[in-house]
Amino acid sequence: MSDLVTGIRAQVRDLLARRRVEYVVGYETGSDGVNARPFFAYTTEEADRLVFDNTCTHNLTKYLVEPERRGSTIGVVVKPCDARSLTVLLAEHKFPRDVVAIGVVCPGIVQRTREGGDGEAPQARCQVCDQHTPPACDILVGEATAEGPVLDQFARLAPLEAQSAAERSAFWSQQFERCLRCYACRQTCPQCYCDECFAEALDPEWVGVRIGRAENWLFHAIRCFHLAGRCIGCDECERVCPVKIPLGLLNRKLRKEVLDRFEYRAGTRSDERPPLETFRKEEKLDLA
Amino acid sequence: MAQSTADTPRTRAGQVEPTAIWQPRLVGFLCNWCSFAGADMAGTSRLTYPAAIRIIRVPCTGRVDPLFVAKAFQRGADGVLVAGCHPGDCHYAEGNYYMRRRYVLLRDLLEFLGIERERFHLEWVSASEGKKFARVVSEFTSQVAALGPREPPRQGPTELEAGTSNE
Amino acid sequence: MARVGVFICHCGSNIAGVVDCAAVASAARRMPGVVHAEENNYACSEVGQAAIRTAIKEHRLNRVVVASCSPRMHEPTFRRTVAMAGLNRYLMEMANIREHVSWVHGDDKPAATGKAIDSVRMAVAKVIRDERLTPGKVGITKRALVIGGGIAGIQAALDIANAGHEVILVEREPTIGGRMAQLDKTFPTLDCSACILTPRMVEVGQHPKIRLATTAQVEKVSGFVGNFEVTIRHRAKRVDHSVCTGCGTCWQKCPEKVPSEFDSGLGKRTCIYIPFPQAVPNKPVIDWANCRYQRYLAASGAEKKPPQCRICEKLCPAGAIRFQDEDSVVTEQVGAIVVSTGFQAFDHSAYPEYGGGRYKDVISCLQLERLLCASGPTGGEVVRPSDGKHPKTVVFVSCVGSRDDRVGRPYCSKVCCMYMAKQTILLKEHDPEVQAYVFYIDIRAGGKDFEEFVRRSQEEYGALWLRGRVAKVYEEDGKLIVRGEDSLVGRPVEVAADLVVLATGIEPSAGADALARTLGVSYNDYGFIVEAHPKLRPLESNTDGIFLAGTVSGPRDIPETVAQGSGAAAKVIGLLNQDELVTDPMVSRVDPLRCSGCLSCREVCPFDAIGSELLRDGRTAAKVNESSCKGCGLCVVTCRSGAMNLRGFTDQQLLAEVVAITR
Repeated sequence: MSDLVTGIRAQVRDLLARRRVEYVVGYETGSDGVNARPFFAYTTEEADRLVFDNTCTHNLTKYLVEPERRGSTIGVVVKPCDARSLTVLLAEHKFPRDVVAIGVVCPGIVQRTREGGDGEAPQARCQVCDQHTPPACDILVGEATAEGPVLDQFARLAPLEAQSAAERSAFWSQQFERCLRCYACRQTCPQCYCDECFAEALDPEWVGVRIGRAENWLFHAIRCFHLAGRCIGCDECERVCPVKIPLGLLNRKLRKEVLDRFEYRAGTRSDERPPLETFRKEEKLDLA
Repeated sequence: MAQSTADTPRTRAGQVEPTAIWQPRLVGFLCNWCSFAGADMAGTSRLTYPAAIRIIRVPCTGRVDPLFVAKAFQRGADGVLVAGCHPGDCHYAEGNYYMRRRYVLLRDLLEFLGIERERFHLEWVSASEGKKFARVVSEFTSQVAALGPREPPRQGPTELEAGTSNE
Repeated sequence: MARVGVFICHCGSNIAGVVDCAAVASAARRMPGVVHAEENNYACSEVGQAAIRTAIKEHRLNRVVVASCSPRMHEPTFRRTVAMAGLNRYLMEMANIREHVSWVHGDDKPAATGKAIDSVRMAVAKVIRDERLTPGKVGITKRALVIGGGIAGIQAALDIANAGHEVILVEREPTIGGRMAQLDKTFPTLDCSACILTPRMVEVGQHPKIRLATTAQVEKVSGFVGNFEVTIRHRAKRVDHSVCTGCGTCWQKCPEKVPSEFDSGLGKRTCIYIPFPQAVPNKPVIDWANCRYQRYLAASGAEKKPPQCRICEKLCPAGAIRFQDEDSVVTEQVGAIVVSTGFQAFDHSAYPEYGGGRYKDVISCLQLERLLCASGPTGGEVVRPSDGKHPKTVVFVSCVGSRDDRVGRPYCSKVCCMYMAKQTILLKEHDPEVQAYVFYIDIRAGGKDFEEFVRRSQEEYGALWLRGRVAKVYEEDGKLIVRGEDSLVGRPVEVAADLVVLATGIEPSAGADALARTLGVSYNDYGFIVEAHPKLRPLESNTDGIFLAGTVSGPRDIPETVAQGSGAAAKVIGLLNQDELVTDPMVSRVDPLRCSGCLSCREVCPFDAIGSELLRDGRTAAKVNESSCKGCGLCVVTCRSGAMNLRGFTDQQLLAEVVAITR
């Protein structure tokens, strides 16, 4: 058993024993015996089922915004990227501050399919991760480590950016043609929480109900824009897509522009307004 | 009128006018207080500019939802112009500042999705700048016209239909 | 079920001359929801409106589209029309097929007709989604703020106060009176400017309904028509006016002299001063930047300290000097605002070829005005600033900072021709030996008795008016050589002058643009505030409850300025006489079921009009304060959940418009 697991269990047992929280959302080992899955620990006994390893891919803050959690004090196990969404969600008043964030120093998550076939290669997001210690947590489990040099997280954009508009248009047409509009990307996104998504609204009917290239294009364009300055870069949308649309590219593109233009990175600081909710009078931006 | 539908204008004599040259289909969102008034001023001053633009009045550029812009492009618009009060002159004090940020990010995203940045334009036009409005629309029209139709029709129109059909 | 009627106005030939209105009507009849479409020669005429009302009854219309001119022109008209026929007035939309179509696409009639049809299509799509709206009501603060105490502001303040409403008159300078106080005589009647102005100034100072705030500036304005909150900074006067008797001891004894602004720099004033003898209030202020005691206090320990002075403090019999005074900032509630910040003379240093500033005897017309004035720095003797001699040949140069693109002032300042005529007459009356020359481009003398007045200058007073621009002024043997051309005879001319007077034009007061931004009103390229409508609403800004008087909106002469002061006052009185105002119902609203409670809307609202409320199911939702909301729609776009919507410009309506004009 790793030190991380021991640490998490001890902290959670303590929180539950002191009744500091009603329950803790964490990970347990799934029924395949390999991959972690979300787990709600209500008792100190259940705390001993908690695990943490390089298969803990889910962002558990997603559970916190559910209506039935309202009014409860909850503990949640967060990786560094999850901690960023926690910061965003707190700023958006999605729950009161008395959520107890149990931050875990993250070794990186592997790409592993249900069958366990893809081996132990780190996920794309983890390959370019520059934040292995969670920021702004109530409890830290694991040893804070210095960040080593990382790959350029936006390098993946370059090939597409180098293409002509027509080529990019054709590229995305092909991608969106496959979209089933299953909305898995939206459901898994920690920052998507509207009770009624614009994509399914009938009045006004923003996106047609037809599942076609044009409608899918609009859905993805706006889904992405709704995350402008809010996306924390977990790439979960891309991971869960059953038809493998590289949605992470879209979000990454806006993350890059937000960082370049406004020096803003969602979830890293709680004292800054998201870029679309503020402005500087003197900024010129490149309008022409 | 490339974009006219069943209502292709006919003269009283009944013959269809030969406007076979492709004209872009442009949507303009104008804020009520400055740019819409500036467009009025262009009219009062009897200036001329290309008729390819359709104008939607909004109270403020801050009311221009990226969804409207995306919707227009999704439905085949060749270009979208947003025009509002100069920075500092917003009737609502700050709306255009927010629009300025939304605009650059939306343009980045649209460009990444394959819509040339020249097709989406933000301009400041005050109530007294009728001349500027006419110039902006003229320039924007030829800028978009130079790019050609946004997505080539799936079935190429015959030369005869090129002026009047949509697809 | 929507039953839309479409009315296509010909506007005589204004629209029908370009747009095929019959084709628009027949296209409209095929649009979904439209049950009736008809053409109308002049929709806004009584006959035209009656036709709309009749059609509403006959065809049982419940929505109306008027395709005519700009909604900025006639939206209120047609709202009234449909209201008279029993419809909710917000169930009417306009398609602008004049300013946005026929007037700009006369070169391509088929395209114009196509665009007109699309405009109607958008309006129909929008009107179908119009909702019945009911304006709310809000109380009124029965007090007015007048910004700028020149003759326009004085007139407005007096008229409003005489009608029984309180007025706060804010003036930046230590006295009211403005530019008119600096003038000697006024054209074309030649009555004494001060004689007609000062009684008004005194009246303002003594009026029980007027609160006068001099050396004060408006810093911030919030709120809306009927209920503005204004932040005013009172700059430190350093003299306690509640104690001061205005005896004059201090300003007679103050040893520090600086150029007098009132005398356009020709004379001197002391550092504790009243700008001129008839100033209102007739109590001094200290010019702190130039005060010797201030310099004493500011001197650092290292250097030798200048003497403390403090003579005024020692001599003041009332003990009114307050060196330690500081600026104070107060907020006031007012229901209406009149902006009358006036003008300043164009700075002629933009014309180095005329030698202003380089040659002492090249002066501005306002300086000549001070020389002509009996209470001026020379006691009314016109003398050359260089040697004090009486000038015999005086040359006027017109359009200095007017009608000139090169200096960014392409407009005519309107008063210069007339005041040059006046000054030539006054000069001759002061000294019959004076010969005046006037270089002009055109003589602009439109106005009652104006043309006759210019003729008097030429015929009775012998002034020589030469049509042509001046190329250069240079000094030679103690004379100023004015080289220009007489374009009527097509010959260059040279005049050896003793004095050259530059007819500087009118430009907005310094800081007028900043004030306009504070007020949230539009101004043009030159800084003049833009009227709500140049013809029909010349005294209103484009913000309800903010009115304009005088040269703040463009060059004008005194009678016109006074008329505007009274006119703006009439507008204010009409407003303040109401007990409550109807509020615009086109404001934001929240659908609490859709609201996700992120409150981003609250962050972006420029008017603090959004708060939050706790719903019974424990969720937090945004809540709009409708009387503070101004209807910009910023919150609607910020809202990702679609919970926020703007009445009159709903997502549904604007989306329908987009859909109507795309394929």
